[in-house]
Amino acid sequence: MEELLRQTQERWFVFLEKLEVRMGEMCNAAIPELKAIFKEDQDPYKRAHGRMLAGLLGQLRRMQDQANEVKEDKILGLIYSSGVFTSNDFREACFNRHYAFEKRCHDYTSLLREAAGQQDLEAFYQEQLASFALIKDQFTCKQCGGKIAISKMFFIATYVTCLYCQTQNTFMPSSGAQMVLHNARSLAEQRTAHLLKIYEERQPKDPALYQQYLRAMFDQWNQITPDMEEENEKFYLRLLKDNSINHL
Amino acid sequence: MAEEEKKKTLTYVEKLKQQALSQTNYGGEIPDKAARMEIRDCPNCSAGRAYRDGLTNCAYCGFRFMDSKLTDGIHIKKDNNS
Repeated sequence: MEELLRQTQERWFVFLEKLEVRMGEMCNAAIPELKAIFKEDQDPYKRAHGRMLAGLLGQLRRMQDQANEVKEDKILGLIYSSGVFTSNDFREACFNRHYAFEKRCHDYTSLLREAAGQQDLEAFYQEQLASFALIKDQFTCKQCGGKIAISKMFFIATYVTCLYCQTQNTFMPSSGAQMVLHNARSLAEQRTAHLLKIYEERQPKDPALYQQYLRAMFDQWNQITPDMEEENEKFYLRLLKDNSINHL
Repeated sequence: MAEEEKKKTLTYVEKLKQQALSQTNYGGEIPDKAARMEIRDCPNCSAGRAYRDGLTNCAYCGFRFMDSKLTDGIHIKKDNNS
């Protein structure tokens, strides 16, 4: 019995080590490629990068599944079949090794997710503000040719009334301006990332710090897209409530 | 053996990258369009669309631009129904 346990444990360790080696090789090769694809990808949503990342994460999950299947079959199977005869040392060693493997999977997952870094949304936003300032007085009414000044930056299509003939012109913002609405929350999060870091690093977690971060983030968000303030406030209260539930 | 294994992994990652790049985006590419002004003339009387008691009917001849009822949105509100 002792011999069987020793052999099973050895095979389990070798198996997990092989998986870890494969995982390490794949991730080390993939990280520079992920950075390159993120840089090359012209799509505003970086979908090619997203597809590659999803493929890699799928591979990691497949390895975790393989480890779980073998654990279920060989380790737990042996423990259940031999009952009281399995030593605690065997269980502990096998489970701890699996825990270390899972932790490594988790670390590689974070590495892959963070490999490409973040888009510089602040620069993009400032660029859009500057280009709007250039074009805002250049529009004319399509019906009578009268000048139309766009009062503020719009992020979705809106009606603008011509002061001369009262015709409703539809103002369609540029693709870049529409992306500002899409990126507004991410930009606000980038601006307030230091506050989130303070909250995450403090142990035990302090709800007051989370509220401070959330308020600052939503203030930034509302500043970028003021039209959404009312909706955003409801979302703020919900996030705050969700967080307070976790602290009970 | 280790070299061969490494080559295999690299090939896999490269293949994945090629696939990710060659796959067409759902909904097609997103063209970068400049801001523009558009207008809808009334198909019945050719007048420009003006606000009278709302935006769903032509202000001059009463032609119905749309059958759906407007609800409150960011810029369009319920009271824009004619």
